[in-house]
Amino acid sequence: MRMLNFAKRNFKELIRDPLSLIFEIVLPLFLLFIFQQFKIPSDNYKLENFTPAIIVFGLSFITLFSSTLIAKDRTSSLLIRLATSPMKSSDYIIGYTVSLIPIIIIQNILFFAVSLILGLKFSINIMCAVIASVVVSILFIALGILIGSLVSERATGGLGSIVVQLVCFTSGMYFPKEAVGKTFSAICKALPFESCLNIIKGVLNNNFENISVLNIIIFSSYTIIVLVLSVIIFKKRMISDNK
Amino acid sequence: MYAINVTNLTKKFRDKVAVNGINLQIKEGELFALLGTNGAGKTTTIKMLSGLITPTSGDIKIENMDIKKDAFKIKEILNVSPQETAIAPNLTVKENLEFMAGVYGIKDKSKKIDELTQRFNLAEVLNKRAKTLSGGWQRKVSIAISLINDPKILFLDEPTLGLDVIARKELWKVINELKGNITVILTTHYMEEAESLSDRIGIMANGKLIDLGTPQELINKTNAENFEDAFVSIVTGGKE
Repeated sequence: MRMLNFAKRNFKELIRDPLSLIFEIVLPLFLLFIFQQFKIPSDNYKLENFTPAIIVFGLSFITLFSSTLIAKDRTSSLLIRLATSPMKSSDYIIGYTVSLIPIIIIQNILFFAVSLILGLKFSINIMCAVIASVVVSILFIALGILIGSLVSERATGGLGSIVVQLVCFTSGMYFPKEAVGKTFSAICKALPFESCLNIIKGVLNNNFENISVLNIIIFSSYTIIVLVLSVIIFKKRMISDNK
Repeated sequence: MYAINVTNLTKKFRDKVAVNGINLQIKEGELFALLGTNGAGKTTTIKMLSGLITPTSGDIKIENMDIKKDAFKIKEILNVSPQETAIAPNLTVKENLEFMAGVYGIKDKSKKIDELTQRFNLAEVLNKRAKTLSGGWQRKVSIAISLINDPKILFLDEPTLGLDVIARKELWKVINELKGNITVILTTHYMEEAESLSDRIGIMANGKLIDLGTPQELINKTNAENFEDAFVSIVTGGKE
């Protein structure tokens, strides 16, 4: 129950930060709406492709703001107080993770609601895509915990922005990676963001052939590695910060 | 039985000895102040006593429990009010109290929160977000939170640092009321605070506990006119 109590506190902290809401929800919604007005002749901007792209884009801000919360907590005396309480490391990690899931579900509901208004066809696959995006979000949450555990609150802004930029340029949300050349295409393949987008896109469009085995392997490998690293480094930093 | 019993406590950070072989016993209900110049080792000592860091060598017994073996049980009976205000900024005062009550698994949360609200006169700020409160109020809330689990041992690290004289006196009153019921370990840079509040005072320098006694005993021992002079005399070895 301690982890849920901690998750409740984290959720309130995040939801009451207007800047986090603007970037996590308002900005992606604005992009979703505005790009549909341009009528760009590219498959990337069709609602069935661009909505999953916006979901992954929104998740990159989850990394940014969760890392800021964790870095802020680490440097504040609140964590000293909590470190002397009966809370365990698992309570912190699960507490941070669980607190972000409702925000991700709210993001999904709003993104799909706007997409439906703009013309996306309703199907049960939308529900499946929401579930897929919650699974994909574990990577972004783990990245947030890792960055928040590694660097100061100030530096989380910079590192979090790099994740946002990487999502924009390497996930294939705005343009097909092949258009930029072989090297760039290989980088996109090696990073996990294209796989994240392909998974959600494949689930939404009931087009599972679009999700390659390589996508699953890359996404799973990154998620497991980042998750394990985030737990180890968070635990280490909890001790070293108190020295 | 002692509330805290420390034997040969030592902490080394690589080659630097931060705390060097401290022996100390603190009685139940005692208000004990730990004084020293900057870098004397008091913060490291407090961190070891509160379980934040592990000693390099030596033993710490809290209420007869070993801090290494019984860490979880000990964490349930102690609490800390850190130097900087330790509250969640975007939560209201009430939510902060509820959150920490949840951390300690307090069964009757409302009753405990009502009790602390009355004791610290928090009613007027109860529904305000913590970050909007003045420094004095934040400190008061921070100390109120540290009593949420009815701790047997409470660590107060510089509780009145940066507060104006009125807020400081108000907090002294609260701390005085804790005497006898809770074992309080206080660190402060204000000599009058230590003298006015403490049953006994320990003075640290260069990682060692160099003197120990009631404020009056320390004054008498150094033939000083007041406690501040006694402190200076002890820390400088009588050179100033």
